[in-house]
Amino acid sequence: MAKKRGQGIAAIIYGTGYGNGFPDVSSATVEIHDDGSATVHTGAVDCGQGSDTTLIQIAAQELGVSTENITLITGDTDSTPDAGTTAATRQTYASGNAVLRAVRVAKQKLLQYGASVLGVNTPEGLEMVKGVVSVKGYPQKQMSVAELAFQARFSGVRLLGEGTFVTHTTEVDPDTGQGAPYWPYAFGTQIVEVEVDTKTGKVDIIKAIASHDVGKAINPQNVRGQIAGAVAQGIGYALMEEVNLGEGRINNPNFSQYLLPTSMDMAEIEPLIVESDEPTGPYGAKGIGEPAMLPTAPAILNAIYDAVGIRLNSLPATPEKVLDLLVSKQE
Amino acid sequence: MKETNDAVGASTPRIDAVGKLLGKTSFPADLSRPHMLYGKVLRSIHGHARIKDMHVREAEEMPGVRSVVTAKDVPGENSQGVLYTDMHVLADKEVRSVNDALAVVVADTEEIASKASKLIKVDYEVLPAVFDPETAMQEDAPHVHPELKTNVLYHLPIRRGNVEEGFEKSQVIIEDTYRTQMVDHAFLQPEAALAYQDQRGHLVINVATQYVHWDRVEIARVLGWTENRVQVVCTAVGGAFGGREDMSLQPLVALAALKTGRPVKMILNRKESFAAHSKRHPMVMSYKTGVDNKGQLIAVKAKIIGDTGAYASWAPNILRKAAIHAVGPYKCPNVEIDSYAVYTNNPFAGAMRGFGAAQPPVAMESQMDRMAEKLAMHPLTIRWRNALEEGDTTATGQFLGSSVGLKETMLQAARAAGWTIDDQTGEVNSYG
Repeated sequence: MAKKRGQGIAAIIYGTGYGNGFPDVSSATVEIHDDGSATVHTGAVDCGQGSDTTLIQIAAQELGVSTENITLITGDTDSTPDAGTTAATRQTYASGNAVLRAVRVAKQKLLQYGASVLGVNTPEGLEMVKGVVSVKGYPQKQMSVAELAFQARFSGVRLLGEGTFVTHTTEVDPDTGQGAPYWPYAFGTQIVEVEVDTKTGKVDIIKAIASHDVGKAINPQNVRGQIAGAVAQGIGYALMEEVNLGEGRINNPNFSQYLLPTSMDMAEIEPLIVESDEPTGPYGAKGIGEPAMLPTAPAILNAIYDAVGIRLNSLPATPEKVLDLLVSKQE
Repeated sequence: MKETNDAVGASTPRIDAVGKLLGKTSFPADLSRPHMLYGKVLRSIHGHARIKDMHVREAEEMPGVRSVVTAKDVPGENSQGVLYTDMHVLADKEVRSVNDALAVVVADTEEIASKASKLIKVDYEVLPAVFDPETAMQEDAPHVHPELKTNVLYHLPIRRGNVEEGFEKSQVIIEDTYRTQMVDHAFLQPEAALAYQDQRGHLVINVATQYVHWDRVEIARVLGWTENRVQVVCTAVGGAFGGREDMSLQPLVALAALKTGRPVKMILNRKESFAAHSKRHPMVMSYKTGVDNKGQLIAVKAKIIGDTGAYASWAPNILRKAAIHAVGPYKCPNVEIDSYAVYTNNPFAGAMRGFGAAQPPVAMESQMDRMAEKLAMHPLTIRWRNALEEGDTTATGQFLGSSVGLKETMLQAARAAGWTIDDQTGEVNSYG
């Protein structure tokens, strides 16, 4: 048999956020318009990972409107408040919380006005569901959000909200490393099946099962997309990618020599979601950006061992390295 | 108005999808302004060298060239960096890596700017350099930043319990060294930026970035301007993965627009992009781990060395994160980790998806499999028996009070692989 298959597993923990007491702050503002639609401003940049859609979903959920009734403005220092870096798997959690807080402030102003109109002595006596504000326990008494927002603004009430969220982190002790450096933590397990060509040393990825605890999937398809992209990046890290240096110079600054996985190198990916419901997250969400990439490479190394009994102690597992180890194993 | 309360948890189509699919979305290279010029960066060809002289006149005199921007054109501070401002925006005395920019040629077309940049003659005196982090840690190694009198930028020890006692009690001990390589973010869209002064005299920079407000801090520092007069607007971003956290073109394109009084656009090709942004830290990770006969992890000792190249970028935070994640998602009473960030004259390393937590699993997860094999135990069993759960404490002594879904991910993945696991003993009945 020239080609041998094997399976490998790896599990990871990942502390999200800047960590170690670093200021980790996100801010957002929201304005509810006459018809109940709203505009959200936040500095959070969507680098392609999908935060724009996620933040819109959070605002829409809290206002009880459809996502198409939310406009999101991001990434402009003249008009959007600082929401920190799109990094550290933090935008769903930190900026999601900031947006949620901003929406709640604006919504509270609307409910405050609604209480006076509907003859309720406290906004706590109202609920806002599916575009309708109604009296708790007596839903016959109600008004649409749009009608209420129009009346409120016509009466001079402005439905503006600002929300700032600070992720809790604590500096670790510099001598012992003890402390609570991150929160929350994401977890994941991947099982990868590989096929090793014992004549060429080439490793093909047959299947990658990737299960990740994201707290709550605000947008499940987006989470699955993040996982699939991360596995692809993990495959590149494990098998091909390497900046080749000579005297500090980059010898392969191009994609003919710096090899990335192409669609031809991709495996069947089965992204799976665990929802552990993080109490401090927006609707229970933590994050998925980085953690999904971490188990792929070690799972591949373990799968190569399972397939052909060689252990690679260095990345990437190029055909040359695999073949060398196979040859020295036979000798 | 559409009213609904099911936005969260729905796979709503991405709001950016249609624009991107139809090619309507603007990335910075797509933007243009009337009377726009183009800038080309000249970078160092040496890992470490003194700049004895730089001759720009021939480039300046080439028809179509409007300006050559060098260090003397920096009105504010000629320094940049996310933690320490240890990198020049434009080097004029010394270069410490091939990332170092020396000049920006600004011309009517990209072709002219590119040709003119090759006419700049730099007289280098090549200096002793160090390219290996372990060599860089030795006493006689040349110092990348001589004023620091060491190449060790950061060290974090983690101490918990007593590892030597842990190893004495261990049934199986595995010891080995693992190495991970330098990789590039290889985002689809290479760096590009457009800068211009608007009708207010404010400087506007359109760029694909991860953090507009931080970019503004860095650009304002270089210009010597107050932040309110600098506007950073993020265009669509063609991937980032950490590679757009440090400054790449932002201060350069700002200086070029300011000096020429014209809008300036800069677009990097792939080769230039490789030199313009950070890389993932290569790490050398020496591990010694011990388990008892039931596979219970008793001791983890690790030494991790990360090569940050010539500039700090996020290295202290990244090697801290490596240390904190060195034990993996497992309970362990005895832990001794030492993590180091080390300067060399290599291209600088910085943030990249995982941020220091991507490398240690390569070592630790190999160790777990090797210990399991010695105990004739299934790889999932050893992980299951050590897996962190709600109420457990991490290697840094942190109590995990909520949302520890690790075992659920193990169960879910195992089920999908066709394995069954006894959730009491962690025994797995099929493999492969």
